[in-house]
Order: sequence, then C-alpha cells, then structure tokens
Amino acid sequence: MDVKTRLLGGLIALLLAACAGPPPVKVDDDEVDSRVRAPASEDSAGVQVYSLQNPAVKELTAQAVVAERAGELDKASGYLERALRIEPRDPQLLQHMAEIKLQKADYQQALSFAERSYDIGPRVGEICSRNWRTISVAREHLDDASGANDAEARATRCMNTRPKRY
Amino acid sequence: MLLAGLAIGIGVPWTVWLDIQVRDEFEGRIWDVPSRVYARPLSLYSGKPVSKRSLLLELKASGYREVTNASVPGSYSVNGNQFDINRRAFIFEDGSKPATRFRLQLRSGAIGNLVGVSGSEDPGLVRLDPAEIASIYPLHDEDRTLVALKDVPELLITGLQAVEDRQFKHHHGVAFRSIARAFVANIKAGKAVQGGSTLTQQLVKNYFLNSERTFVRKANEAIMAVLLEWHYDKAQILEAYVNEVYLGQQGKHAIHGFGRASEFYFDRSLQNLEPQQIALLVGLVRGASLYNPRRNPQRALQRRDQVLEIFETTGLLTENEVKTAKSRPLGVTSQPRSGGSRYPAFVDLVRRQLKRDYQASDLSSEGLKIFTTLAPSEQEYAQQAVSKGLDDLKQRGLPADLQAAMVLADVASGEVRALVGDRVAGRNGFNRALDARRQIGSVIKPLVYLLALEHVDDYNLITRVNDEPVSLRQPDGKLWSPENYDHKSHGELPLMDALVHSYNQATVQVGLNVGVANLIRKIKQLGIVAEVPAVPSTLLGAVELTPVEVAQMFQSLAAGGYSVPLRSVTAVLTPQGDLLSRYPLRFMPLENREAIALLNFALTRVVEEGTAKTLHGLLGSNTVIAGKTGTTNEKRDSWFVGYTRDRVAVSWVGLDDNRPAGVTGSNAAMRVWAGLFRSLPIEGLDLRMPDGANFVWVDKQQQALTDPSCPGAEQIPFIEGSEPQRSTKCLQKQDRKNKESLWRKWFGRKD
Repeated sequence: MDVKTRLLGGLIALLLAACAGPPPVKVDDDEVDSRVRAPASEDSAGVQVYSLQNPAVKELTAQAVVAERAGELDKASGYLERALRIEPRDPQLLQHMAEIKLQKADYQQALSFAERSYDIGPRVGEICSRNWRTISVAREHLDDASGANDAEARATRCMNTRPKRY
Repeated sequence: MLLAGLAIGIGVPWTVWLDIQVRDEFEGRIWDVPSRVYARPLSLYSGKPVSKRSLLLELKASGYREVTNASVPGSYSVNGNQFDINRRAFIFEDGSKPATRFRLQLRSGAIGNLVGVSGSEDPGLVRLDPAEIASIYPLHDEDRTLVALKDVPELLITGLQAVEDRQFKHHHGVAFRSIARAFVANIKAGKAVQGGSTLTQQLVKNYFLNSERTFVRKANEAIMAVLLEWHYDKAQILEAYVNEVYLGQQGKHAIHGFGRASEFYFDRSLQNLEPQQIALLVGLVRGASLYNPRRNPQRALQRRDQVLEIFETTGLLTENEVKTAKSRPLGVTSQPRSGGSRYPAFVDLVRRQLKRDYQASDLSSEGLKIFTTLAPSEQEYAQQAVSKGLDDLKQRGLPADLQAAMVLADVASGEVRALVGDRVAGRNGFNRALDARRQIGSVIKPLVYLLALEHVDDYNLITRVNDEPVSLRQPDGKLWSPENYDHKSHGELPLMDALVHSYNQATVQVGLNVGVANLIRKIKQLGIVAEVPAVPSTLLGAVELTPVEVAQMFQSLAAGGYSVPLRSVTAVLTPQGDLLSRYPLRFMPLENREAIALLNFALTRVVEEGTAKTLHGLLGSNTVIAGKTGTTNEKRDSWFVGYTRDRVAVSWVGLDDNRPAGVTGSNAAMRVWAGLFRSLPIEGLDLRMPDGANFVWVDKQQQALTDPSCPGAEQIPFIEGSEPQRSTKCLQKQDRKNKESLWRKWFGRKD
C-alpha cells in the first residue's frame, strides 16, 4: 500500500468514525462548551477520532448527556462512572467526566481526568484538543496562568502532530 | 378474705415484677432494622467477558433459582450456553428498575448477544440485582441476620401460625382452648405429646431459656405472655419471635431466628427459600435438636413432610405444590455456614470504611442500603485460590498451618473486588488482609528503582549498577551486610536486570544513592500512612505493611501513576431510596509518570525472565503481566504482587506466629495468585509510553543504541533525553550501508 492510499484510507476511516460518534453536547453559556468543545470541534474541522463503543457504554453515555443537558451533573457523573466500570480506559468517557468536573468547579479532578484521557487516548485530533483545553481552563481556575497558556498552545498542536507508531 | 388479700398482696407485686422483667427483655432485644450490604450489581451487555461458571456463581450469589421456565422474577433457565433470566425489580443506587426478562448467549467466554423476551425492547445493558452479602449495624460489631417482618416470606408467617398457634391472631397471650386440647391429648397418650403454648409464650420461654417444666414456671410464662400482648401489638411480637426462636446449635453458638437458620442450613437468605425448606424450618421449632437435619435427616424429613401436610390441610399450599415439595430432598448444605456474612473479611473492610468516611449520625439511621464493590464470583475464585492453594502447598511439604491473605482490586477505579483474610472460607476471625502487618521484603524494590528512574540524569533502565558485598552500620550500631538469595554477588549489570532478578546488594547500592528518606516519602506518596523506619534495611523491605496497604501502593503503579484510594463502598441509600452519600471516583495523578511506565516495563520482565518466570506456566497463558515476588528473612513471609491491564492483586502466605515457614515469593504466594488469575479474564498490560518516554532499540550490555537487526538488540523504553548517546559498531555499520544505498537510489546507480 503506498503512502497516498494509506492516507486516503485513514481519512475515510476518520470521516466514518465522525458519523458514529455521539452528538456534541449543547450547554448554553457554559465554559465547557465555549472554551473546550466548540474550539476543539472547530480545530478538527469536524473530523473526530472515536473508538468503537460497546452498546452498554453508548447507552450510558447517552443517559449522561441527557442528565448533563438537564443540569443534573451528579447524575451525569454517576452514569459516566458506571460506563467507566465497563470501559475504564475509554478516553472519551474520561474526557466527558473531566468536562463534567469542570462544570462542577472541581478543577483538580477535571485536570486529573483530562490528563488520564490524554495519556490513554489517541493524543491527536479533537479529543486531544478537548483534553488540553480542559487542562487549560482548569489550570486557569487553579491560578496557574502560565500552565494554562502552555496547555492552550498544546491544544492547537493536536491537529498537526502525527500520531506515533508503536 | 385472707386468701384474697394474700393473692393481691403477693400477686400484684409479683405481676409488676414479671412485667418489668419481660419488658426489659423485649425492649432490649428489639433491634433496629439492620442495614443491608450489597455486592456490586453485575452489568450484562453484549461483548462482556464472562464465563459460564462465573455467571452461574453470580446468579447463585444473587439468590436466583434455576428453573425450566424463568417465568417469575428471581429465576433463570439455562440451556447449553443460552441463559433466560428474569431479573427482579430492584432499587439500585441510581433509582429503581422494574423486573425484566432477557436472554443471553455465551460465545467464547463473552456475552454474544442480549435480547429482551416477550416483545420487550432489547436491552443494551442490564444489571443483575446485586447479591445481599450481609446485614449489619454499621455502628456495632454485631453479626445477627435479623429480618423485618415485611421481608419474611408469607408462607413462613402463615405456616408458623398453622403449625404452632392457630389462635395467634385472636388470643391475648394464652390460648386456653389450646391448653385444654393439649391436656386431653397428653392424658390420652400418657405422656406430653402436644404443647399448648402460644407463639407469645414460646417467645417468653426463649427469652429466659429454661426448659424446666414446673407449674410456677409455666404460670410465670403465661402471665408474661399476657403482659407482652398488653404492651405490644401482634406484628411486633411476631417479628420478635421470628428473630428469637431457637433453631439449632453450632458448637457453642446457638442459632436464633429464621434469618440466621436459613443461612445456617441452606446457605440462602430467608427470602429465597422454597416451600419445603420453609416447612423444614417451621418443623424445627418443635425440637431443633430432635429434628436436626444434618444429624437426623430421616426424622427431619418426616417432620418436614408432616408440616407440609399441615400447610395443605390449612389451605396454604395446594395438593400439587405439596406433592412437588415432598419430592424434593432436604437440601441442607453439608457444611453449616458460620455466622454473619459469607464474606466476613470484605464486610470488615466495609465497616471500617463506613466508619472512616461517614458521620456516625448518618450511620445510625435504620435500614440503610449499602452498595459495595464486591464481585461475588471473583471473591469465590480468590477464596478457592487461597484455600486450595494452601492445601496444595501442604502437599508440597510446606507447613499445614500456613495462612494467607489476598486482595483483588480494579486497577483504574481502586474498587476492591475480593478480599480474603483466612484460608477457611467464611471464618470470621483475624482478618489478615487488613490486619496482618508483616515485613514486605523484596516487594519494596520496585519503589527503590522507581526513585532511581526519576533521576533522569543518573539512571535509565540499562545504567550499570554494582551488585557487590556491602556493609552498613545500622542506627543500633550493628553491622548490616545483606546477601543475595543465591549467596553470590553478580558484579556490574544493567539496572533493570538487578530488579528482574531481585538482587539485594545492587538494590542497596541504588537505594543509598537515591536515599532512604526519599524512599519513605515515596511510600507515603503512594497512600501508606503506617510508620516506616528510616534505616538502610528498609531498602530491602524490613518494613511491616498489611496486604491491603501493599495493594494500595501498587494500584498507583498499575494505573500508570493515577492513584485512587482503594474503596469498598460506592453509595449508601436510605430505606426510602434516597442517596445518603456517594463515593465518587477521584484520581490523584502522580508526578513522573514516565518513570512509572519504565518501571512497569521492567516488572513485566520479572515475569518474563526473572524471579516470577514460572508464572506463565502456572497460568497457562503468555499475557503481559507485571509482577514482583517478595521473601523475608528465614522464609517467614511470601508475597506476590501482580497486575494485568485491569486487575491488581496481592497475595501473602506465612505463619501467624511469624515462625520460619519455608516460603518464598515464587513457591507460595505466586502460586496462590496464579490460582486466582487462572479463573479471571486477563487483558495484558498496556505498555504504551506516555508523552516524554519512548521505546528505543538498544544493546543493553553495551549501553548503546543499536539496530533491530544487530545481535543483542532489545526494545527498551527511555525517558526522552536519557537514551544512550553512543551507538554500537553494528549500528554504525548499518547506518553507513543505509547511506550508501540511499545514494545509489537517488543517483540511480546499480550495485
């Protein structure tokens, strides 16, 4: 397979995966939406890397999204925790949890979940951007201005960093 | 007149005295409704890895009955690998769920598909209602299996009255008609064949536990029964009776109450008994020793069938139901289950964590529902691994009185899935998993090497270290000269190999460089609060920790540096189903996660080629596992810590009195550990490096970069900037060749 074919294949896979992912959550006047999800989605130009989720995780994620929209953050994190018991290493779940923690103003935990999501996740694409943007917002709230700036800069590099091969 | 005066003068104070006595007794024994402790609910969804054996164990633990048609909630049928399960309605920690029926098919160790039955929607995810693992009073250390009247099966309540006291609803404590009937029957028989005592009288009799048949005692009982009926209503009296009646004996301990008896004879909760089992228990009221089903099975069977006939004549069961019930065996377990929970070690942890994390005022509420993290099937496997493992070690010539403990937790969440504190299942005594404080030996070494790897400028996995004799003066003035297990020194060798082969002398050299004080700081950082002595021998594990503390330290490493406190409780609900409190999942990321990733890699080599290299053989699998053995002086303690991607477990084997036991990490604890993991689905450890660390091809002995095709080439992870600067000659040659061939390619020259 030559390089072009491989790239094209990869792009198609990414686009297909984009269709399979859960819809972005809309929370008005929300920092998570305006400073994490929207810019990350913009960066990635709609291309999202989502791993295939098992139906149970999908169902729980959907319930978490409904709870989050209704402002029931404890409930949402309860659903995500259940999903994490099934797939403890799902970067999307970990990132979603980080965003819930951000909304609950639990910045330390927002940082922890986003960092773990990044460590386990693809370290590229939209989810990477959401990881670093969450880290940036959390650091800002924790009065770490320079750390916040670094993270913000790191987020923009999520799109042009080629994933390493292992 | 005189007689009447005497009757009043003595009778009234006598009655008042009896009243005080019986009320004291009754009030003193009214227990609050106990809190129920539940295991984690098993989540079922397509793709879930679960073996048939595990699923059957989970269903059994949750009190499901196997039937041919699972038409009622709480039952299931199984046909080959196809399960039809009728889940009960249940209030889970996030709300109540109605009963639901579904089918699932197991395919190669996982759930193939999950479909709803009778037109209901296909469930993506179903939770089995969790096993009830204990009834506790969180604030008291009391183990009784008490039941609230509303939880007692209808057949037991009505059946008890049918057999023992048909007038219960109407009498005032004493039923004169029954006494008369019994009197006539006894006269006819020429001996006491029938009792006329009401349930209330029997309750009084149980309180004062005196079987002497005198007129005064009988009269006292009758007066007290009337007094009880005067003060309390029928439901209160019946509830007290159900929890108080004597139903058997286990050594010195009397078995009181139907809840406890149900566990003692059938190893089931009262709610899950079948009609013939209820009949057996009701029959025991007349004579627990006479009809003891373990000692006198034939007599017990006759008595049970007699009770079933009464159930039929009083219309409680139909003729057919009685016929079926009579055809069943006694169903009594061969070994009586000891008091309290089936999982006393785990419930002990639950109690301690509740006391640590909840307000006493919250815990004093009645009837809480406590949701925990226990996985009944995994607990079963862990206990079997310990019990059978120690029997096996005895066969191999190790002491017969060896003891063991085991902790199994989920890597990412820190949820404790199983806890074993004794080689005997269900024995409620010294909980070694939480309380056996023993030297950890070489299990400490990974922390020494972790500290070294954090010093990027000084150490990487292939840095040469010295395994040479070393002598140090301890604070008490004594000279300390540790030796290696094989009594040899191995000279200069790569850091990683010193850990993989667990060389003591090299570890002390490295440890002295990184500092004992830093090691102690690291231990604290990993969640240990116990005191650790600041002496050089700490470097080789002369530190006493409990198995659960060791599990806590290694959870952080197994999770790649995301520490979570090990926990056994996830939520506490009030009886109304309101959430009293939740323990949310919280991570604490540690610094230097790259060094942890390097260490994890080295620990997989311990299993591949080091002190734990027989593990793969014991498991019958080549999955990537990180592990470390530990042995203490004179082979007193044997430890093994190992982790896969999702599970971390610690096992300890030794003697309670700390005598030399002939055990080493690999000959005892590792075998027990393998016994557990043989039954669990294993996912290999993920060795992907975090940012800031990468795998590099090196020649370990030459401490140089090399080419994969060169002899001695190995892929080993390095923290960026700590890679060797030199290249092997082989690599230099390869590089030259590559340059030449590129030159040829660009300029089209042919060889």
